[in-house]
Parts: sequence; C-alpha cells; structure tokens
Amino acid sequence: MLQKVATGAGGLLGAGLFIELTQAADQSVIHRAGSPTRVIFFLQNHGFDPLTCIPKDLNKESCALDGLTLEKPMQALEPYKNRMHIITGLHGRHTNPGHSAYFGALGAYRGGTGVPPSAATIDYVLSRSLPQTILPPLCIGMESLDSMRARPTLATLSASGPNQPIFMHCDPNMLYQMLFGSIAEGSIKQHYEARSNVMLEVERLAQRKAKGLPMGDGERYGRYVSGFQELNGLSEKLSRISARLKKFAPKLDARYSNPKFETDWHDALLEVGIAALQANLTNVLTIASGCGEYFGSWKGLGITDSGHGLGHIDQPGNLIWTKIRQYNCEMLVKLMKALEAIPEGSGSMMDNTLIVYSSNNAEKQHSEGATWPFVLLGNAGGRFKTGQYTNIKGRPINDLYTTFLHGVGAPVDRFNMDKNMATLHHSKVGPIEELLA
Amino acid sequence: MFICRLKGFSVVWAFLLCTIATAASGADTANTVPDGFKQKVMPFFADYCLDCHDEENKKGSVSLHSLTDVSADNASMWKRIWEQVALKEMPPRTKSNQPKLMERLELSNWITEGLARAMKDKGGFSEHMRPSKGNHLDHDLLFSTKLENLKPASTPARIWRIHPQEQLVRLNDLICLKRKFDPQRPGLWTHGDHIPANLEGETKVYFGLDQFLGAFDDAYSVGVSGFQSSLSMVRDHGLRNYPFLYSINSAEALQIAGIAEKVLRFMANGPAAEPYQFGDEIKKIPGKYRNLNLIFYKNEIKRPLTPVYELMKTLGVSDERLREVIRFLFEALTLRPPSKQETDTYLEVVNKSINALGKEEGVFLGLVPIFLDRDALFRPELCENGKPDAHGRVMLQGDELALAVNAAFSYIRPDSDHLRTALAEGHLKTRDDVKREVICILNDDSIRKPRILQFFREYFDYDRAPGICKDRKLLERAGGHFDTYYAAMNSMVANTDRLIEVILQEDKDVLKELLTTDRVIYQPYTSGANFRDGILFKSDIGYFMNRGKKFVEFKKYEKIEPTKDNKLVIERAKREAYDQNMLHHIFPNPAEPMYVRQSQFDQGRFPPATNALKAVTTVDTNERLGILTHPVWLVAHSDAMDNHAIARGRWIRERLLGDAVPDIPITVDAKLPDEPKSTLRHRMRVTRDKECWRCHRKMDPLGLPFEKYNQLGILLDTNPANNWGHKVDTTGEIILSGDPKLDGPVDDPMEMIQKLAASERVKQVFVRHAFRFWMGRNETIDDATILRDAYHAYRDNHGSMKELLTALLTSDAFLYRKVEDR
Repeated sequence: MLQKVATGAGGLLGAGLFIELTQAADQSVIHRAGSPTRVIFFLQNHGFDPLTCIPKDLNKESCALDGLTLEKPMQALEPYKNRMHIITGLHGRHTNPGHSAYFGALGAYRGGTGVPPSAATIDYVLSRSLPQTILPPLCIGMESLDSMRARPTLATLSASGPNQPIFMHCDPNMLYQMLFGSIAEGSIKQHYEARSNVMLEVERLAQRKAKGLPMGDGERYGRYVSGFQELNGLSEKLSRISARLKKFAPKLDARYSNPKFETDWHDALLEVGIAALQANLTNVLTIASGCGEYFGSWKGLGITDSGHGLGHIDQPGNLIWTKIRQYNCEMLVKLMKALEAIPEGSGSMMDNTLIVYSSNNAEKQHSEGATWPFVLLGNAGGRFKTGQYTNIKGRPINDLYTTFLHGVGAPVDRFNMDKNMATLHHSKVGPIEELLA
Repeated sequence: MFICRLKGFSVVWAFLLCTIATAASGADTANTVPDGFKQKVMPFFADYCLDCHDEENKKGSVSLHSLTDVSADNASMWKRIWEQVALKEMPPRTKSNQPKLMERLELSNWITEGLARAMKDKGGFSEHMRPSKGNHLDHDLLFSTKLENLKPASTPARIWRIHPQEQLVRLNDLICLKRKFDPQRPGLWTHGDHIPANLEGETKVYFGLDQFLGAFDDAYSVGVSGFQSSLSMVRDHGLRNYPFLYSINSAEALQIAGIAEKVLRFMANGPAAEPYQFGDEIKKIPGKYRNLNLIFYKNEIKRPLTPVYELMKTLGVSDERLREVIRFLFEALTLRPPSKQETDTYLEVVNKSINALGKEEGVFLGLVPIFLDRDALFRPELCENGKPDAHGRVMLQGDELALAVNAAFSYIRPDSDHLRTALAEGHLKTRDDVKREVICILNDDSIRKPRILQFFREYFDYDRAPGICKDRKLLERAGGHFDTYYAAMNSMVANTDRLIEVILQEDKDVLKELLTTDRVIYQPYTSGANFRDGILFKSDIGYFMNRGKKFVEFKKYEKIEPTKDNKLVIERAKREAYDQNMLHHIFPNPAEPMYVRQSQFDQGRFPPATNALKAVTTVDTNERLGILTHPVWLVAHSDAMDNHAIARGRWIRERLLGDAVPDIPITVDAKLPDEPKSTLRHRMRVTRDKECWRCHRKMDPLGLPFEKYNQLGILLDTNPANNWGHKVDTTGEIILSGDPKLDGPVDDPMEMIQKLAASERVKQVFVRHAFRFWMGRNETIDDATILRDAYHAYRDNHGSMKELLTALLTSDAFLYRKVEDR
C-alpha cells in the first residue's frame, strides 16, 4: 500500500500571485499522447444543489448517462454527456462549508470565514504533479464590477501550503497586462516596459531596507521582497515566449475597458484564462464564480438581485439560479471548445484535460456539507470514466481529490486526511475506483 | 502514590534507553536525552502525569511513557499537552497533587519553544504567540504570586505592518479635505477618525466627494468610485493586530501600486470625469446627461491642493519641484521626513520614468514606489543606532519613538505640532518626556484617537455583528427584516462606537460602565417617504424590542375626517402616531440628540452622509445592562441559525475571567443536533457528555443566561404561550473563575454581569488585554510588574483609561526593544 499522504507540499513558498515560476518557463511543454496535462476547477458560490445536476428521469444509484436528460440549468452540457461524470453523495461535513468553506473547499479540511489555509489545496498539489508550466496554478475570480475593481486580487480558495494563500485575479485588464503586456505594440509596450523598470526599482529599494531586520521580521519582510522578485521574474520569463503569447493573446475590446455589466468582465476573465491554458502558461486554472465568498452579481444576465441574498434562494426550479447555472455551463462549453481547437499530441488539448465543476460550499449556502455534488468533464488522457452518473455514499471530498491525484499519476493514500479523521469521516485509502477508467 | 510514580518514571527511562540504544547503539544514553527533556519534562511527567498516562493505564487513550523530545511527528501530542498543562486542565482538578504555577509555566515554555523549533520547516508553530492564546499564561501567576528573578521587560525589535484603516486614513488625507474637530459636536466625523463603514458594511475611501454637485436617480451607486484597503486582516474574534501576523504579498503590493496611481492622478487632475459632468447647479445639467448613471461635480476645485497638483499644473519639471513632491508624499505616507538618500533615490526613479513616458505619465508611475516604501507599509521599531544595555535592550528613540507614541493613538500624524516639536527640540528622549506627550495627547480631544476605539472593537467584538450572516426565514421569524437587517447592524456598530467614546470621555470606571451602562444610542428617525407597515422595525430600534412588555398607548391618533384628497395625510398621521407609540414603548425615557459617524457614502444616499444625528437614552436595566446585552454584541456572538451560547460563554471566559479553553480536538465532530423545535439550551445537552463537558462547563453556563434574548438580540417574551411554547430559562453559573467570590449560580445575565463588573480579577484581565493590544504581543512572566502597575494605575484612579494607557505607554515593554546581536 502506498505510504504517502499529500499535505502542504508548498509550505515554504511565499504567498503571492504566482507561487513558483518554474524552470520550464521558456520550454514548450512536453506533450505525451493520452497523458493528463491540465485540470480546470470551476466553483460556483452559494452551493450546488444536487437536484440541479441529477438527471430528471434518473432512478438508479449509478448508471450511464446515455438516454437520460439533463436538467434545464445544465442543458448546455447535453451534447457533452458522453464526456461527463456526475458525482453525488460525497460529503464535506468537516470543512465547515456554511456560506463558504473557503480554503476548505479545495483543501478538504476545516475552513470558514477568516480561517487561513491549513495545507495546500488540490489545485496546487495537482499543478505540481502535471507537466510544469510558468504559472501553476492560475486563479480567476468573478464578482460584481464594484467588487472586482475594489479587490482586483484576493485569496479565498487556493493555497500552496499552511498559511500560504494563492491569490485570484478579478480584473481582466490587470491580468491581461501581466500575462500579455510584453507583446503589445506602441505605447502599451512602452508603458509595460516602463512599469517593469519601476517594479525592478521597487524590488531593489525593498531589498535595501531588508538589511538588518531581526530574523522573524526578516522572513516576513522577505515575503514582501520576494513578491516583487516573483513579479519581475514573471515579466522576464514571459518576454522569452512572446511568439507563443502573440498566438493566443485575446483581443482587447470595450468589454475590458468599458464594461456594461459585470458579466463582460466575467467573459473577459474567462478569455484570458483560456488563452493562458492555450499558451501553456498554466496547467491548472481555478475559476471562482463568486470569488469563493457568499456574494456575487449577474446583472448582465438580467438578474437584478445580487449579493448575499442570492444564496438564500432555493435553487431547483428557480429562474435566477437557472440563469446563473446556464451561464456557468456555457462557460464550460466555451472552455471545452477552445481546448478542442488546439492540437496536442495525437488529439486536442481537451483530450488531456479534466474539468471539475462544483461549488465552494457544498449543496447550498447554509450548508453543513452533508452532500457535495461534482460534475467532471473530460477524461484527462483516458484516466477517468465518463458518461456516468455515480452516487458515492458517505465518503468525503478528500477521497475525490485523492482520486484526482491517482488519475494524474501522483498517487497518494489520502488527501489532507489523517487516520483519525479518516475513520470518523468514512474516508478510505486510495482512489474511488468507480471514477477511474 | 509515591511507588506508583516511581514506577512510571522507570518506565519512561526504560523506553528511552531502549529507543536510544536502537537508534544509536553504543552511544552514551545519558548524554543523548536532551537536557530540557531530562530536567523539565521527565520529572514533571513522573510527578503529575504517569499515574494515569503510563503504558498500563493509558487513561483517555493517552500514554506518555513513550513520548520523546518534541519533533514534527509528535507535535500534535505535545500541543495538546501544552494546552492541558498551561490551562490547568491536567492533572485533573480533583487530584490533590498539583504542580506549582511556575512548574507549569516552565514546562509550557519548554514545549512551545520545542514546537517552534521542530516545526520551523513544516509551516512553523506560532500558536502560543497568537492573541487567542494570551491567557495560557496563568493569571494568578501574573497578579498573585510572589515572583523573583524576573528579567527587565522589553519587546523584540520589529517592524509592524500598518493597519488597513491606517492605510485608508492616510490615503484619504491625500484626496479629501480635512474636517476640523468641533468640540460642540464631538461625534462628527473628523480628520484623523477611522473611516466608517457604510450601511452595506464596506469601508472605503471615495474620490471627489468634496466636489460633489449631485446626481440623478440611483446614479450614485454606479457613478462614485473609491477603494477599500488592499491590506488583509484576520476577521476572527479577538485582538487582530499583532505584528508577527502580517506581511504584504505581491498581490497586495500590486493593488497598492494601482491605487497609488489613481490617487496621484486625482491629486493632480481631480475627478476622472467628462467636461459635461462639471457645473454650478445640478438643475442646470442638460437632460441628455441625466440618464447616464453619472454623478456631477462642482466647477470649483475642492480637494487638497498639494505639491503634486502644483507640479502637474505648471509646464515642465525640475528636480527642485520633484524633490518637494517626494518630500511631501513620503512624509504623508510614512509620517516622517525622508532622508537625503531616500529623496535622491526616489528622484532618480521618477526622473527615469519621466524620461521613458514623458511628464504626464512618467510622474504618476515614477512616484508609485514611495507608496511601496517599507516605511509607508511597516512601522519600524528597530533601534538600529542605540547601544544595548546589559540585557540587550535599547530604548526607542528619535522618529521611531515619536511614531510609536503617535501610533498608540492615531493613524495619521497629529495636527498638533506638539510631538514633532518635542522631537525636533530634543525633548523626546526619556520616560518622563514620553509621559508628558502621552498625557498631552490624551487630554487633547482634537487629536483623534481611533486606535483606542479599535481596541474596544477588538476586545468586545461587537463590530463583527454585520458579518454574521443570517438565515432569512429564521431571521424573519425572530423579528428581523431581512432587507434592512445588515444596514441596521452596521448602523448599530456605529452607535456602539459612539457610546464607547462617550464613556471614554467621562473616563470613570470605564470597564464597569461599559459592562453595566443603561445608556443606548439609536436612530430615532424613519424614512418619511415610506409608510408601509412595520417601517420602524426596519431600523435599529426594533432590535431593542421587548416582546413580553405590555403595550401602553403614549400618543393617540387624532382622527382626521376623510375627504377625497387627504388619504395620504391620514395614512401619514396614523403612521406617525403608531411610530411614536412604538418608539415610546421601546425607549420610554427622555432622549438627547447625539452625532454618530457614518460612512461618507451610503448607497442611494447623497449628499454624503458623513454623520448622522441620532439619540441617546436610558433603558430599563432589567432589559439591558451594558454592551453585552446590546443586540450588536449578542448578534456578533450568534450564528446563522440561532444564538451561540458557546461563543458568548467563551467571550466571558477569555475576556473577563482571563481563562481559555483548548482548541477543539481534530477528532471531534462538533455539531449540535438539528432540532428546530427545541431550545438552544436543550440542544446543547450533547455538550454534557463527559469528554465535551470538561471544556464546555467553562463556557456554556456563562453563555446560557443570554437566552433572555433571541438570535437578533430581541428580548424574548417570558410567557411560553407567546414564545412558541418555550419557557425562557436564563439561569447560568460562574465556575472556576479563579475568584471564589465570583463563583456560583446566577439567575439571569444582569446578575452575572453585575458580579463580573465588580470583580477586581475582571479589571486585571481587561488590563492584560490592553497590554496585548498596545504592545502587539502576548504578555510574558517578565511583564508581571508592568501589568500590576498598570492595574493599580487604573484601579487607584477610579477606572481611568487615560491612567491605564499612561502606565502602559511609559512602561519598559513599550519603550524598550530587545535587539539581536549586531
């Protein structure tokens, strides 16, 4: 039996926008036919009611999806049923998911408002196991315009280790500038270079004032300095792959500079995220619709209500939630089509991809985590079963994350679950076999 | 007993010998066992633990016989031992053989030092340094034990990241005009006060409010632009601002850079708006611009006109003018003048940027690094130039001392020149100098002191109330109005802020008054435009409701004869009579007007609501008694569905009794049964299970008296028939308080609060929390003398907060920094 338990692998790394700039920055990712290459997490806030995803004519615990019809909120995925695996019955009682489990959603440990991450989250751990890219992982967050402008980056879901949050990007302009600014022409390029030079000066000045600090403060302040080093290092590495960036950079338009609704920025963020995947800048993309918190706004969909109150609505059959879920699914389809369009190995990028759709707080806003539905799309190089509905009775979400790690070839006994907890929460050693091909 | 202990001791030795022999055959075993383990741990275990936790007994499935020196593998066990020993949970209180307090402390320190060392490369261990663990140092040891050989107190040299409010207040100063203190209306929002949250709960700084002309419809909500602080802060209960907790990551740094550019552009150019958005009168704005969700600005420039403005309005650029800008910005952001080297460095950076982008863009980008200077984001207390005394301590001096004194009260440099003058003239060097300045600041009301208010926010936690999300159905069943609930909570936080300031102004028995005051502040006005039923209950008044009180009509509706045109008039008159009756029903005593600070901007409310005229009154002390019975504190210690007796009891245990409970073991699935028709008291029966009750007995009996109120802080009707059949049981008990006079059953929260407010121990615990807040760290045994002196200063001066602060801020712990070997 395997003896490894995946925990905070990145505990020593500095918290920041970019956790670690890998040495593979200026190399093309090695593509192997039929091997997992990337994973995408898409978490909608306010919970994911299982009645939304369980096909209406289902009458079995586990079965093939063929012949079943998806519920209205999920209908955009109907053509993709053969690449889909709907999973219900997992629980996350130990993650404290009321409102949001925050880091506990992807960490599968106790989370909650103001609770710092106690270990690395699954998106980060996966990113370490997949073929390396410049930005493992990239996180984007979608909220109201006001919120995205006021907090263009925040950390709620992903972490590289204990007390090491990974920040998500909420302003598509800032994210675009950061990833694709180096390939711009004319004045944008001039500004990008001037800005890069100023940030190098800031790094130098910060370093100068680090001298002579007491040991503990030196480490804390060192994180401030290393943040600039990360940023400046990223600029330097991106400048070396400008051809690849040019090929995939999204076209800037009015939605970026002058959004009418927040959904313009949501779409723009998704585009930049897709471009980052296509250009192999990242091997894991984490999308947080609602930024991992319990607010959110979708006025662009004609939904006038916004914020926290949305979570108080029962989702099944509700028009607002149907619209939000349909919008999510359209984004998922856009992702799949974009990845299908790019050849990789003997197939397409999508062939080597796994998409994980769920919520950051189980099945509803005021959840105790009794049931936590997931929808998987893609099979990551044939490693995961598709075209299925499976009800996994009583096992914790940790076991699903363990399964992901087995699927990408980084097997562990358990994910963020020690033996005592495992008994209490009915966690078993190893993957959930029903999910693996 | 003796034989048994001896037996346990030999078991440990036998195990250790075996282990060491296996691991390092031939090694000298006596030398391999760490000295600390041999000298401190083994005798302690033998004397107090192995009776029950040896290889044979393993009580509670815990066996210590094989435990070795602290390592990453056994860290969780050692952490449990630390908490059990430090909090006197073990040995059980029923055992007569108890370790001395100093023995407990020595073992605790040994364990935490070992954990910090063992976990250094595994995420670290700093639990013992967190504010929530401050009470793990025994109270009696600090206040009632004769102590010898204490080291002179000091605080480690450090840098202290600024508070998010500090950042906002300083940036606000760059873009908004300063409002002077008005002694006639001391509640008004004034230069130097903290930035108040709006009714949505957002704490933001806004651009262009001084120049605001007007807007149409609800354009405010989309037209106004501003920013929140880019610095993160924990949102947990209790003190939140210890230096070791915070750094700044690259994401925050980028946000700071982004905000800096916006601020600089605004300083130079004013509101980022089209020419047609400027005018002299809102009614003259052409119709074609009225439906564009825009806000409009006065033609007259209204914002601070700084050297940045002067630089950008003149042609060309010179080093001299740039130096002036750099000096101005640096001092505004770090509160001290830049050195020549710092000015030269920033001049070089901004000149490079101008060369690359030209003046217009280059100045803005080139000045951004000043906003990211270490000293703009961290306040240094490094004592780099002083000579350490025999104990390795250096007294703060120069700018560091002046900024430390200032930061004890303020987020900005005070308007008064007193402190700066003292520094410049060499009169800020000694303890007496500091005392003179502290007293001067404390007695000058025009110097705003948001840090003192922040202490009380963190001590009482009432400001967490708006962050407690409520289940809509249960909220409405409890008497709340969902659409206005969070605004009411934000409003009540501002009211409580003001009440605390009033009590601080009186400066007499401050803690006792806060715990027992019969005063409340409320919003007496309702919306004149909306006359739907229950409008009164959409404001904060409704949460002071007493459901069991008999309604007596105060003002009769004087009947108006209906005509075909006066339907609205009648409706309004009825409404006003109803509102006045209800207001009198809840607050029958006379009220005085009082200003309360509110946000500069509330959604849908313009002109900017920087202040609100509210009212202060007194209440029946059988209904409310001090802050712990105000809705805002009760809600802050509730959850989405119900009251939270555990959180309330824990607050009293920690903040008033100076005790703590260990962290919940990871194996505990801590959930109350989901029984919607049961009272919380009944649902909490599960905490009486033997394993749970050891900790819960220290919390639950202290929290359950607050069952007098529902989860919104509304008084429950004591008649079961009017309370869904539930009998209201408000009994509780104070146990294990450390003060025998306190222990015993209580009938209701009032009795409990009165007892606690009269306790000397409670005052001492309050002093401990004040020490932590102002020193930015947990107290150590070496701080015992300072704590005792501060307590006496408080007690002997009739509970004066000013005297308490003077004692703390002139103490060695505040003035001296321990420096590492240079």
